[in-house]
This record gives sequence, C-alpha cells and structure tokens, in this order.
Amino acid sequence: MPLPTESVRGSARVAKPPREDGADDPVTRRVLDVAAGLDDLLAEAAAARTARAEEGSEGAAVCAWNHFENIPTFYNWNNRPR
Amino acid sequence: MSGIAPVPGYVVMQPTTLCNLDCTYCYLPHRALNRPMPVPVAAAVAADVNVWAAANDRFSVVWHGGEPLAAGRAALADLMAPFRGVEHHVQTNATLIDDPWCEFFAAHDVRVSVSVDGPAERNGQRVTRAGRPAYDRIERGIAALRAHGVAFSALCVVSDPRPELAAELYRYFLDLGCDVLGINIEEREGVNDRANAHGEAAVREFWAALVAEWRREPRIHVREIEHALRYAGAVLSGTADDVLPRRLDPIPTIGVDGGVYVLSPELAGFTDERFGDFSSGNVLATPLRQILHAAARGTGWVGEFLAGVEMCRAECPYFGFCGGAHAANRYFELGRFDATETDHCRNSKIRLLEGVLDHAAAH
Repeated sequence: MPLPTESVRGSARVAKPPREDGADDPVTRRVLDVAAGLDDLLAEAAAARTARAEEGSEGAAVCAWNHFENIPTFYNWNNRPR
Repeated sequence: MSGIAPVPGYVVMQPTTLCNLDCTYCYLPHRALNRPMPVPVAAAVAADVNVWAAANDRFSVVWHGGEPLAAGRAALADLMAPFRGVEHHVQTNATLIDDPWCEFFAAHDVRVSVSVDGPAERNGQRVTRAGRPAYDRIERGIAALRAHGVAFSALCVVSDPRPELAAELYRYFLDLGCDVLGINIEEREGVNDRANAHGEAAVREFWAALVAEWRREPRIHVREIEHALRYAGAVLSGTADDVLPRRLDPIPTIGVDGGVYVLSPELAGFTDERFGDFSSGNVLATPLRQILHAAARGTGWVGEFLAGVEMCRAECPYFGFCGGAHAANRYFELGRFDATETDHCRNSKIRLLEGVLDHAAAH
C-alpha cells in the first residue's frame, strides 16, 4: 500500500476539485484530514508545556524555547548549526 | 518568509578548532588541529553583538566547536569577557565536564547542551582520538552536571532511524534528565560523506513511534515534535502562514580566525571553485554588521541559496513547515545551493511531519 506521503507529493501536481474547508494544498489537506486525532495531541502538548513551566522559567536550559518565533540557539529549525 | 535578516538572533563562536573526540559522522574538517580563537576576534564580534543585545530581549552567543570546552576555562572566559547582555550557550560532548566546569557554567550563566546518542551501545560512533568508546566519559560529565544541578539539553544523532529505536531513545533521555531534546538524523555534509538515504516507511515510523513514546510522559521538550505540532496546530487554526520567520536568521558562525560563515557553519573549512571559501568576510577587517548586511543582499553563494529557497517555495508542498532545504545539505548532497529536495528534507522534515500525522490519524 502506498504511504500517504507518496500520494501527497503526487497530488501536488494533479488538479483536484476544491474542498469545502478551503484547503488547496496537499499538506494542509493532510493535516485537516487528521484534525480529530491532532486536537487531542495538541491539547496534551499544551498541557505538557505548562507542566514544564517553559514560559518564564529562569536559568533552565528550556529557557531557550521561551520565544518560539525566535529560537535562539542550536535548536533553530530553518537553518541551524548542528 | 523571504530573504535573510541583516541582524541575527544569535551568533555561533568557534573558540577552538580542536575536538578531543573523533566521531565517525562529524562534518568538521580541522577537528584534529588545535587552533584557538584570539580574543580580538571575540572583541570584534562583541562590538556589534552588544548593540544588538541591548536592543532585543534576548540575544545568544553559542560556543560551538570543535569541542568548545577543549579551549579551557581561562581562554573561554577571556573570549566571553567582551560580551554584555547576552545569553551564553555551549554545545559540548560532555567528556571534559567536571566540578570546575560546572562552577564555570554557574558563574558565567552558561546554558549547556550535551551531544549524546542514547545508551552506551548507541554511541559506538562517538569515539576518542584513539578510537575507543567515549561513552564512559560522556556519562561522567553528565553526572557532574546533575550533581551540580545544572539544567541541560541534549542533541542525539540517529544514523539508522527505525521505529524500534524510538522508545529506547526517549526512555534513555527521560532517565538522563535533560530538559530539551533535539534528534538529528545523520546528515551527509562536510567531511562526512556517508549516505543518508533511508527507506520512507522506517523513518516515518520512527517519528510516529517517538511521538507515541513522548506522549506517555511528555516531560521533555522534543524539538522535532514541538515544531511539527506547532505547525499542525497553526494549520488547524488558519495561521500556518505565521509559522515561519519573516526572514531567515543569518546565524553567523565566527571561525577561529574571524571568518564569518552565514546560514550553515558546515561550509567552514571548504572551498569551491565558484565560491571560494564560502566566508562572507572577516570581523578583523570588517564590522560584523557590515558583513551581514552584504550577505543579506545575496552576495556570493548566498544568492544562489536564496534562489533555491524560492524554488523550494514553488515546488514543495512542505515549504510552509520547512522553510526550504538547508544550505549545507543542498551543497554537500546535490552540489548546488539552488538544488531543492535533499535526503535531510526527506528524513527530518517531510517524514517527520508525516510521522506525527500518522500517529495522530491512528490515535
């Protein structure tokens, strides 16, 4: 059975009818299609962040993550040293 | 996201080329040489960094290597001394950490991240210069951190991603006590020319299994899971366009001689017939702010890279999550900066997101 990624990447080049939810790219469609499972997972992730006290904790290594949009160290996502 | 910001959020400093280990997957070409960074290089960097730090809530200086602790405490303190108002970070193999180093970290408010690949049997590639396993030393260094109450993060290289590894690794890092974990699927770059192509199913299942294990006890902030979930959440809330930064951070790496390498430090130490040594300038000759302003205009190889980012944007449905293939991966895997999809994209971006979504679909 082909993995979903294969169909996602293939479908990027194939015209499809518009969806009611407005998702017009294959990755967005893929995310929306698993929204039910994601909702639970996202809620758990949010609770875990709170439990880790990531916001405002001083001195801990996790401080590096306080400003997600400006990840300051070797954890940078888009271009980062390893 | 478009283009490169002229002002970074952090700088990476190379206090020495030397590493006391000789890991088989390392990308650094000069890690056997002991070339220290002179203090005037740090002072030249600090001249601009201190201005940026004063104007921003946070600004980080990351001491990377070689092995930064191989520089020694006195030399590292001298190199840190010119900086004001910054967060210092160190990425270390942990083998040199002892009580005095822990006291140094506390005294200089240094945030610590260690490189370790899991339990002893997963660290076979992390070896001494004599080729002996380094794990005992790594473990001893981390024990010193814990004894001193020094919080730490961890970076783990996975050379053979497969689902059976995920739970073992996550449980290990839970026991280790790290706050943050980054998983680097081994990359082909620098002097490491080992192939990094893996079967799609194995890699996706690895990431899905890691999410499953993390979910049982999400005490660690796992970089890859966080990024994937933040993106997925943004898609669901209709804010996916806000996930990527407006402009790429140039992340200047400052080599021991003052050479400045933007975007990908893995390029330092290499030359190309079209682009020379990949450096954007030298802080001993030109202020860092001027070097970065010129780089942001797309001079040299950076221009080809920016064209490559736009090709990723046009061609890849995962661009909103990824932001474009990394410069070093493009160059070392595909030979050009305007080439697009790399094995690193597949292993660490595409299959990561798909693995997380696979998990969400099944639970």
